[in-house]
Amino acid sequence: MEDFLPYLAVLLPAMTAAISTGAPILYATLGELVMERGGVLNLGVEGMMMVGALAAFLGCYHTGSPWFGLLCGGFSAMLMSMLHGAICLIFQGSQVVSGLALTIFGTGLANYLGTPYIQMKIQGFTALDVPLLSSIPVLGPIFFQQDVLVYLSYILPFLLWWLLMRTRFGLALRATGENPAAVRAAGISPGAVRWAALMLGGFLVGLGGAYLALASMRMWVDNLVSGRGWIAVALVIFAFWRPGRAVFGVYLFSGITAYLFRAQALGVGIPTAFLSMLPYLMTLAVLLASSLRGKDSGAPADLANNLRPED
Amino acid sequence: MMSGWRIVSRTEPREWGSVVIFAAAFALSLLICGLLLQVQGKDGALGVGLLLSGGFGHLYSYGETLLKAIPIFLCSLGVALCFRLQIWNIGAEGQYVIGTLGGTWFVLTFASLPGWLLLPGMLISAMLAGGFWACVSAVLRQRFGMNEIISTLMLNYIGIEILKYLIYGPWRDPAAMNFPVSPYFSDSAVIAQIWNSSFWLDFGLSENIVDVMAQLCGRAHWGILSCLIAGCLCSFFLQKTRLGYEITAAGSNAKAARFAGIPYSRLVILVMFICGALAGLAGIQECSATLERLEPHIVVGYGYTAVVVAWLAKLRTVRIAFFAIILAGLRVGVENVQLELQVSNSFANTLEGIILITVLAGQFFNDYSLKRKFS
Amino acid sequence: MEDFPLIRLEGISKYFGKVRANSHIDLDIRAGRIKALLGENGAGKSTLMSILAGRLEPDTGRISVEGQIRRFRSPKDAHLAGIGMVYQHFMLVDTMSVAENVLLGHEGGFMISPAQMRERVRKLAERYGLAVDPTASVGSLSMGERQRVEILKLLCRECRVLIFDEPTAVLTPVESEQLFTAMRRMAAQGKAIVFISHKLPEVLSVADEVAILRRGEVVDAFERSQVPDEAELARRMLGRSLFKEPGQAAFTGETEESGQGARDLQQVMSELPIARIRGWGGRAGRGRRIAQADSVLSLDGLSCRGAGTAGFSKVSFAIAKGQILALVGVAGNGQKELVEVICGLRRPDAGSLKLLGQDYREFFSDLPEQNGLGYIPEDRRGVASCPELSLVDNFLLTARKLFSHRGLLDRKRALRATRALIADHNIIPGNPQARGRELSGGNLQKLIVGRELLRNPRCIVAENPTQGLDVAATEEVWRRLRVARESSGILLVTGDIAEALALADYIAVIYRGKLVDLFSAANQEKVDQIGLMMAGSASAD
Repeated sequence: MEDFLPYLAVLLPAMTAAISTGAPILYATLGELVMERGGVLNLGVEGMMMVGALAAFLGCYHTGSPWFGLLCGGFSAMLMSMLHGAICLIFQGSQVVSGLALTIFGTGLANYLGTPYIQMKIQGFTALDVPLLSSIPVLGPIFFQQDVLVYLSYILPFLLWWLLMRTRFGLALRATGENPAAVRAAGISPGAVRWAALMLGGFLVGLGGAYLALASMRMWVDNLVSGRGWIAVALVIFAFWRPGRAVFGVYLFSGITAYLFRAQALGVGIPTAFLSMLPYLMTLAVLLASSLRGKDSGAPADLANNLRPED
Repeated sequence: MMSGWRIVSRTEPREWGSVVIFAAAFALSLLICGLLLQVQGKDGALGVGLLLSGGFGHLYSYGETLLKAIPIFLCSLGVALCFRLQIWNIGAEGQYVIGTLGGTWFVLTFASLPGWLLLPGMLISAMLAGGFWACVSAVLRQRFGMNEIISTLMLNYIGIEILKYLIYGPWRDPAAMNFPVSPYFSDSAVIAQIWNSSFWLDFGLSENIVDVMAQLCGRAHWGILSCLIAGCLCSFFLQKTRLGYEITAAGSNAKAARFAGIPYSRLVILVMFICGALAGLAGIQECSATLERLEPHIVVGYGYTAVVVAWLAKLRTVRIAFFAIILAGLRVGVENVQLELQVSNSFANTLEGIILITVLAGQFFNDYSLKRKFS
Repeated sequence: MEDFPLIRLEGISKYFGKVRANSHIDLDIRAGRIKALLGENGAGKSTLMSILAGRLEPDTGRISVEGQIRRFRSPKDAHLAGIGMVYQHFMLVDTMSVAENVLLGHEGGFMISPAQMRERVRKLAERYGLAVDPTASVGSLSMGERQRVEILKLLCRECRVLIFDEPTAVLTPVESEQLFTAMRRMAAQGKAIVFISHKLPEVLSVADEVAILRRGEVVDAFERSQVPDEAELARRMLGRSLFKEPGQAAFTGETEESGQGARDLQQVMSELPIARIRGWGGRAGRGRRIAQADSVLSLDGLSCRGAGTAGFSKVSFAIAKGQILALVGVAGNGQKELVEVICGLRRPDAGSLKLLGQDYREFFSDLPEQNGLGYIPEDRRGVASCPELSLVDNFLLTARKLFSHRGLLDRKRALRATRALIADHNIIPGNPQARGRELSGGNLQKLIVGRELLRNPRCIVAENPTQGLDVAATEEVWRRLRVARESSGILLVTGDIAEALALADYIAVIYRGKLVDLFSAANQEKVDQIGLMMAGSASAD
């Protein structure tokens, strides 16, 4: 019995950490989810997050305002997303290749432009206790002694669910991902809907990148995102393209990762090498779990197909 | 009354279209890169000049370009095979790493074997390691329907972590003063450089010629032979064999393949294995010929460049060779820029990304034409 | 106002490249009337209606709505003018509910309430007698119900003109009757109905007025009351009598030409190093011998649950050499799964399946490349061919093993064989390097039929082999199948009763995965009941 106590003791800090490490992934996952529900596969999340993170860092570094940085992050990733839109929606390029190009380009660009700023620090967002709620035992420290972007991330999934399921735009967005011809026949332009999805989704992905720079690291390092963008892509599959499951997936992912890291600090025999592989192994596990659920996974039927320009 | 532009699909691509498009996209990419250098307060025009001259402008550029083209070509050949079957294998990087590990393991374990056994053993071991590593994704895809893009990417990261573990741990050379490097390979496991100056001097060639040739060939090694062999085999395989035809057909329409009784799953595993083996071969050759031991520097993103090359080349073997040389030259050029203008090495990625994006967008003009709409 | 028809088309022409789809068409559409647009495949009916629905813009001509000239740049413009179309391929989102589909694109506030949506759709459905559950997911509906959803979409937008593009192609006879009732009701409520068809009895039973299109032109327009019977209508549609004598002039020219192609093919096939194909004069016997059993295909209590579909259960029948058995049913009643099981693409759950006298496991584990199984799938472009590959490569798709030796492919010989096949079947374009997608449906089907029959299979499965083909191509495919019957047994899966009657010796009707009945095509009493059986409303005895 006593042997277990230390593991229980790390549970609390692990969960606190899980919430804050999960937040950027949640933003990115929801962003990708919006794009994919509209039928656009964007594998450029990693690159978009890198660019978003750098823009957020620079915005905050030069003005001192983390909020300004946040906006920079969101809008810069939106621009990247629109580049994807230009390639796929206008120039009919392959969505897979374009996404990969975006990742290569975004990662390279952010690292290149960020080189002079490596190790430089910014103020960023710091923890902001919610009055009253933060003093709830156990739950308070986990959920309500975080920074403001984490609080935002609590609301976001509900907002997105409402947008997708309870608004006319959401109806059109979901229909566009499934059958653009039906949308066109109904008098809505599926291209316009996809553009909207790309811009909204891109902005959210950018917020995820911005979070890493402004709240997680609060300084610039090379390869800041280090694969989190791909984790987001995998989590969308795990979530069966539903916002609610995305939240579950993100925190399951970040929870297990955070717990194992802390358990290792206690001297459990987890090799360090294994821990550094952990996020990637976890991503594979996440994918495996979703594929084991069978074929009927809820992927939008028209995902990754381009609209034909002639009709 | 109204006029506007209408997009019309072309039945036949333009003649010379892809050449013009690539040239235009390439020029545009260089322009953007110049601007990016300008943004950081560097001389953009000078930078672009350095970029081009680094890879192709000097006598000594060519050997270096060829050196980098070898792994890129091998990886790209495999990647193109997978893409042909519509398998989005982005994992050449990881397969390259694991292949290197497989080969290194053989060399370190059987260091005392005679050269005629050690060298082939090393190559085969590398190919098997890379091949099996690639098969992991293939099996996950066919058995569980797992998305191969993400699984191969994750296996890239995992492969690099394994490399780090080995090189910082069990395989570290105790004599290397805590540097993360393996012991040097025994001489018989080192792939020789093409130009052996002392041999030709002994042979009686004049010193001038030997000097020029030494500059021209640089560090390029006999791995180039493996490129020739692999390229020819690959072309032959795709054009003349039934299996090659089946890959093309299944890649063109997987449903039709299933109906025609083509063993799709087996083909997926086969192409992934071949790709992994080629990437592994690329890795161990790079390791053995240029570093002569295992170092973390072995991982420089050739696997990702290979994806870009495969796509630019539209999966055609000869074009893969062409684009491998072009992109290898640009990598050398970037090193030149790095040295002269002090920019980070991620500039190479940026450049590749921009080329890919511009060509991707430019492709549109090959497949479609704009027509004036009258009414 | 009363002087103007609801819609008037004047001088509409449309060209696709050099192909003339519509030429100077004038047409009036009036409220409260059902207008049938009659014509053969490719007569330009669908193009004309796509122009009216705003999907295509005409090259010349004008459309006026209630006397005012309008220009439709998109379906939205046509919607605003009150024109809507029920497409042959439904424009529905399978994963969404009926209510969501109906209200997609409908103007309104930013927010939506599912309860209100359902209520609205329910009321609308009641008003027009189109029974469908607003909460059901469209993917779970039958074809007839989906069509009702399409109609509701248009009614919800208060369309005044409803265009139906071959609406009965996917319906059972009973559902078709229901549709006609609904159409009459809508017309009675003041809607204008346009009904595209090439089925004469339907036109006679439902239309008020008829316009006939031939080669892109309106060649005749008249009141329904002016034609007494089908024969007269057919005469007006074709410009000649419907029932022509077999072996008419149209084909004699081709036979001579195809003779050379057939001889070439014979030559190539007999030269194959592994020629053991009976019927091509090869050295028979080196390959695995196929037992000369009379029973080509026999099923006994065969069952298979489909993935996500109902599948089929306890199906039994047998086909012998020289017989054609037509499996008739409305699409989606288990035929797809049955065919996949027979062709070895799917495993059955229970029962026995024998091909050429062998258990299916044995048969498929050592699939004979020749004289075995030929399969002509329904989905020509999606399943039977690779649209991006050349005709040679498409030819090789199932013939590849005949043209390979020790793993190497003999492309030269394959090219010759393809050339000969193209000549024999009169495939256009005749260039073997042309890509699959450049072929029209009929020409592609000729290639596929030729390719599948090349191996002289003793068991042939043909799925709706003439769907979407014009009269000449249909005749050609039927002729080939009749010839192939000499040496093999054929399972013909079709939704077209006429096709079944034209070819089959025996007819089996399938409904919801079960055989309703199996009888000889000569049994007139049963034949008359096929329509009812397809809808599941006749008893097996």
